[in-house]
Amino acid sequence: MFQSPLRNPLIKGKKSYQDVTSQLLDPMVNKAGKLWYMGITLSGGAMMFGLFMIFWTIWQGIGTWGENRTVGWALEITTFVWWIGIGHAGTFISAILLLFRQRWRNSINRSAEAMTLIAVACAALFPLIHLGRPLLTFFIFPYPNTRLLWVNFNSPLVWDVFAISTYFTISLIFWYVGLIPDIATLRDKLTKGIKKSVYNFLSFSWKGSARDWHRHEITSIMLAAIATPLVLSVHSIVSMDFATSILPGWHTTIFPPYFVAGAIFSGFAMVLTLLIITRKALGLEDFITIEHVESMNKILIATGSIVGLAYITEIFMSWYSGVEYEHYALMNRVTGPYWWAYWIMVICNVGSAQILWIKKLRTNLWFTFFLSIIINIGMWFERFVIIVTSLHRDFLTSSWTMYKPTIVEYGLLIGTLGIFFTAFLLFIRIFPVISIFEVKSILKTEGAYSANKELNHG
Amino acid sequence: MEEQFIFRKQYRNILIVLMVVAFLVALTAVFAFRPGASRIWANILLNNQFFLGIALGAAFFIAVNRVAMSGWHTIIQRLPEAMTSFIPVAFILMLLIFFGMNSIYHWSHYEGYDEVLEGKKAWLNIPFFFTRIVLYFTGWIAFTWMMRKNSESLMISSDLKYHNRRKIFAGLYLVFFAITVSASSWDWIMSLDPHWYSTIFGWYVLISMFVTSLAFIIILAWFLKRAGYLTQLRDDHVHDLAILLFAFSIFWSYEWYAEYFLIWYGHLPEETTYYITRLNEYKAIFYLNIGINFIVPFFGLIRVRSKRNLNWVAMVATVVIIGHWIDYWLMIMPGAAGGDSAIGLLEISMTILYAGLFIFVLFRSLARGPLIIKNDPLLDESLSYES
Amino acid sequence: MDSPKYISVFFDDEDPLREAVRKLLESKETIIDVMTPFPVHGIDKLLSIKRSRIPIGGFIFGILGATLAFGFMTWVFTVSYPLIIGGKPFFAVPSFIPITFEMTVLFSGLAMAAAFFVRSKLKPDIRFNPVEERITDNMFVILVDTGNGNTTPQKIRSILSGIKTLEIRE
Repeated sequence: MFQSPLRNPLIKGKKSYQDVTSQLLDPMVNKAGKLWYMGITLSGGAMMFGLFMIFWTIWQGIGTWGENRTVGWALEITTFVWWIGIGHAGTFISAILLLFRQRWRNSINRSAEAMTLIAVACAALFPLIHLGRPLLTFFIFPYPNTRLLWVNFNSPLVWDVFAISTYFTISLIFWYVGLIPDIATLRDKLTKGIKKSVYNFLSFSWKGSARDWHRHEITSIMLAAIATPLVLSVHSIVSMDFATSILPGWHTTIFPPYFVAGAIFSGFAMVLTLLIITRKALGLEDFITIEHVESMNKILIATGSIVGLAYITEIFMSWYSGVEYEHYALMNRVTGPYWWAYWIMVICNVGSAQILWIKKLRTNLWFTFFLSIIINIGMWFERFVIIVTSLHRDFLTSSWTMYKPTIVEYGLLIGTLGIFFTAFLLFIRIFPVISIFEVKSILKTEGAYSANKELNHG
Repeated sequence: MEEQFIFRKQYRNILIVLMVVAFLVALTAVFAFRPGASRIWANILLNNQFFLGIALGAAFFIAVNRVAMSGWHTIIQRLPEAMTSFIPVAFILMLLIFFGMNSIYHWSHYEGYDEVLEGKKAWLNIPFFFTRIVLYFTGWIAFTWMMRKNSESLMISSDLKYHNRRKIFAGLYLVFFAITVSASSWDWIMSLDPHWYSTIFGWYVLISMFVTSLAFIIILAWFLKRAGYLTQLRDDHVHDLAILLFAFSIFWSYEWYAEYFLIWYGHLPEETTYYITRLNEYKAIFYLNIGINFIVPFFGLIRVRSKRNLNWVAMVATVVIIGHWIDYWLMIMPGAAGGDSAIGLLEISMTILYAGLFIFVLFRSLARGPLIIKNDPLLDESLSYES
Repeated sequence: MDSPKYISVFFDDEDPLREAVRKLLESKETIIDVMTPFPVHGIDKLLSIKRSRIPIGGFIFGILGATLAFGFMTWVFTVSYPLIIGGKPFFAVPSFIPITFEMTVLFSGLAMAAAFFVRSKLKPDIRFNPVEERITDNMFVILVDTGNGNTTPQKIRSILSGIKTLEIRE
């Protein structure tokens, strides 16, 4: 199939298939550098701090948090939605970009999907610990019991349980099915030892037979096909935690697609944060090129603009609806006691996405890295604004309060960041960061050269 | 593969006869059945919106594909481009609504004091309403004209700068489109139920537009292929068109569900009135709407084999187009015409009239240049596309 | 030692591989398997590999999941323990949709993955030894059936003359 010469190569440098294998297996075969140890110490420390805070919450109780009767949900649910949102980019890259035949996804999907799994795991912590009596978590699953009770299937919180467990399971399966041929590569590269036995075990006796590849491709596409509506549904269901209420600022029909767009927005930002560092640290610039960064930035523009459009819509509707509570909810966000959070949100989310229209900035690695962090901060604040400002001043003015997070809550946020980065750092040492076989399959058509012949686009 | 669409006299005549007959039938329906002015104007609005949506959605299709630098669509690029030439016609037709404002828009002529409508007066007043119409259309016409112009320049000069310009305009159009389609849907459709509001409404209409456009592009491609054109359009291209129709029909259904479900769940009286009217008085059409627009494309296009057969995909597309007409009917009629609403001779004849007009304008535009765009740098990719 | 079961033909690129497969099939040789480091476009068609029925299985199990989920929730809320929640009817179809959808996807995905593993006979086996270790790296291999000694490496070499092969061995 012809490739237009307008397209920039997705794999740089003169590489043979062997080069691809050895370059991508490097991080696993060689010893870790100083940077890795520094990174894992930092994130490990944050993780320990967070784990202690989790222990403290369970030991002392939810009273160690800053929630009160009016603001019954705050930092934890914010961080929960934030993590789930981040996870969506991985599935978007693995599944949706596969269905849209965007070949540039081939070098980023493995790490993006791994990021999804870790992000969802971090998110799943919060429902567990904010239940108050985590030992009774099993209550949320429908099982026959002596009380003859079932869970409330009408509740969005129960839908969350099903949605997130399904999302995690399917993402795990999708990620692992794709990983198997690469584990086989790793198995064959190692010669002996425990490492080899472990990878041998994990490779599920993959031999590279054409029939197996055929089934593998079909399974991957089918998993992508079901993962696509899944990713839409998961964050829509999460948004329904809020939208199914009657609270002004929460009850608005735009939430499902708006949350999904926002999720992909923050998720891609996190992927960029991770990959810009990873590609430099592991020497993978030939595989994760400026092309990839620019394409991801373009998706940031698109999703960020959708988020901006949602803001405009909500602002307009709060006036147009004629409902004074809706109107006040917006005014309170913009000018009330949490006005600083609202403006951080708007500047970080709308400003950042729109500034990427400038090509020079889109293709600049430092700027992209800096912006990706800004976007994630902005998206965290978006959830904070939605949740806290709508809760702290709703219908009954005598219930109006302020919310102030405690150190325990900050610790949980920092802790999940620690878990996230620790797990990701471990991931890059254990599994190939880039999907080896997928990169090989596009080496001829999308690579700059191939070792066998000079690629003339035509 | 120089293909040139010829707007044959035969087509011209059929279309003119069709339009004249439809117009006469519509007149007969008006004089025989005496529908209220609301119903007549509601029909005009419905068809304006429907066919304008097809044209705007076509531009959206081009813009999205250009921005994503996708090559496969290049072979059929001129089809949606030609569809956008209807927008100026739609502008004039939409301005006609001025004469029917009082019949369909209750906010333009209510008696007594209505607190809610008083509050909305700053937005819902006739001068601002029409200023906005002018603004929307100016932008849409300007953008689509620029896109067509750049394509023409590209075909003549093969200078890549036109290709790059088209990409920039595509990006700008997407932003403008998203904002103006949202706002115009609030103006033209949502204000028909002026006490009601829904934040997702703009996006819902946007996706309706896009799906209808896709369906129309497919049917047009099918027609051209049957007439002997588009010889290089292969199953591979059809497959991708079908995937888009499949995926965005599902996405439309998701947005439909999001709006319905959240309003149902919240049970707030100011929001549920919208659905109560539709479920009480138009129950069959309500369920038909979601049935046709979800079940048919989902089960019809789920198999790979179905997606590669242009005849089958065109059949599904036809059902989807009818389905989305019904979707617009359900959005517009109950609020505009109230108890007078129906799907009768008037509706059908007016739709056929508009369809004839749309196709006439489309064919004229299509015949104005080569059917397959020349000098497009991504054309070779499209011709050799395999999926 | 009994006669070798197959002859392996090695390549280092996919284009000669495709050519070779075509030539061997023309010469009516039986190809047991073709092993590659990544899925090679076109091999499926050449080897007449029928399109896998995994998607059909996924679809069926998806419907099963949907029916189970929807049916169970209906039973819970209409027969087992009807509760008025939020003023909604007992048989609240719109509320059941999210979980029904999730279960559809879950069942479908698990079934397809399981079908994939079972049909490809993939299972964790700590003592697995691949035919040739470089397959997962950069080696493309065709395994040709010797057919009780009818086919020999020399015969294959002559069939494939002109195509860049790396090695042909039993």
